[in-house]
Amino acid sequence: MKKLVSSLAAIVLILGVFAPSAFADNHGDNAMVRVLHASPDAPAVDVYLNDEAVVEGAEFKAATDYLEVPAGEHKVEIYAAGTKGEQDPVISTNVNVEAGMAYTAAAINNLENLELKAIQDSMEASEGMAKVRVGHLIPGAPAVDVGPIDGDALFSGAEFPMVTDYKELEPGTYDLEVRTTDGTQLIDLSGTTLEAGNVYSAFAVGTADNPEVLLLQDSAAMPSEMPQTGFGGTTESSNALLYAGVLGALALGAGLIFTRKRSEA
Amino acid sequence: MKRILLSITLGSLVFFLSYTLLNEEPEEEARVLSTLDTNSAQNVERTDSVKNNSNEAGPVKKSYEPAVTVPANNNMGITPERIEIPAIDVNAPVQALGYTDKGGMAVPNNLTDVGWFEPGTKPGSQGNAVLAGHVDGRSGPAVFFDLKKLIPGDQIHLYNKDGTKRTFIVQRLEAYPFENAPLREIFGPANHQGLNLITCTGPYDDEASTYSERLAVYTVLDVPQES
Repeated sequence: MKKLVSSLAAIVLILGVFAPSAFADNHGDNAMVRVLHASPDAPAVDVYLNDEAVVEGAEFKAATDYLEVPAGEHKVEIYAAGTKGEQDPVISTNVNVEAGMAYTAAAINNLENLELKAIQDSMEASEGMAKVRVGHLIPGAPAVDVGPIDGDALFSGAEFPMVTDYKELEPGTYDLEVRTTDGTQLIDLSGTTLEAGNVYSAFAVGTADNPEVLLLQDSAAMPSEMPQTGFGGTTESSNALLYAGVLGALALGAGLIFTRKRSEA
Repeated sequence: MKRILLSITLGSLVFFLSYTLLNEEPEEEARVLSTLDTNSAQNVERTDSVKNNSNEAGPVKKSYEPAVTVPANNNMGITPERIEIPAIDVNAPVQALGYTDKGGMAVPNNLTDVGWFEPGTKPGSQGNAVLAGHVDGRSGPAVFFDLKKLIPGDQIHLYNKDGTKRTFIVQRLEAYPFENAPLREIFGPANHQGLNLITCTGPYDDEASTYSERLAVYTVLDVPQES
């Protein structure tokens, strides 16, 4: 019976009725959202999702890890920190998220033109490759290229508030730079390490005078299940087996001695 | 001849009786960190540790950490060769391992080594690096038997083959059902430089030939204050 069940399971796997991710966890109905504060002159903010605080006191350049939220439409409101109930939100908008997808919701642009930009994040890189994209989130800065110093651009002509498509790169350490399309270096990114299996978003933030890059990890290589890290040798069943074995052997020995003595007598 | 048979019968009888009796008694220690006790494990959480996504309905209140900016050289990741956990007297080799046939996380085929999930993040790099070790073998404890005794603040040292050291600080311990562990929280992307240790815990499931729960110890890189 057990064999039948496992072969059935194997067939189901082969048919792909269950995606591996369905086995990975049962949070299949949820989406993943992270929040990024990328507005250089905006104050610290509180972020509310359906009237519940999900982020409090996030300052410029703060990013959360991914939060799980139910799939569907959500009301997102951003308030200056601590002002909910006293002031209107600086942003109030609805975002729609799909189950099993990951998103970045970034508060961008200067305070007076603050807006929420929602983008979908990749959750997988090809085996042995790293995946990267670049976001230009610096209001008022010119279009930029991103590439190796003195090398050809990997991403070219990104304008505010554009986020490029992902690009797969060989893993390794790169001496990258963000430069204007005419070649003036804006940000030196020497020694940027990109690991295989990882997905990254490099968001250029700040002001034209003071630009920086936030390198966020969007995804990492993950197994489909937890490791098998024990054989039960220190649990009750195996211990019982051991103790019972010892007792049984003792009884056997005692029986032998006892019967021998009797036969000798 | 008769007496030998008699003795064997007696021995077997005692074996079966004692096995049945012993087997009924649950062993307390192996259950220390079962799901029922997860709450108490959470109580020892440090106040500054970051609580991540939970299974509770609806969004949870979430603290945040600043995103990591790219420094001049962010290459803090190392390929671990040895692990030291002074608090529980662990000093063991680390093997770089990948996937099982089923796509799960492979583990060392001995009881003394610790496995590093090599397709994932390097310890010290941004994200979650993961190590796994056995809690026991078929007849006794293995390298991560005492992992459940770690408390927040304990240190974990990793060394690469040149002796370069990275120290991680324990933040919290969580036990999860084997089939329903938050893989993305343990293995997935993160803004911090994390290292998560896994071993088995909870009652042993004879039918499934595996422990019914997994213990995850969440740690983060101890970053010296940079000038």
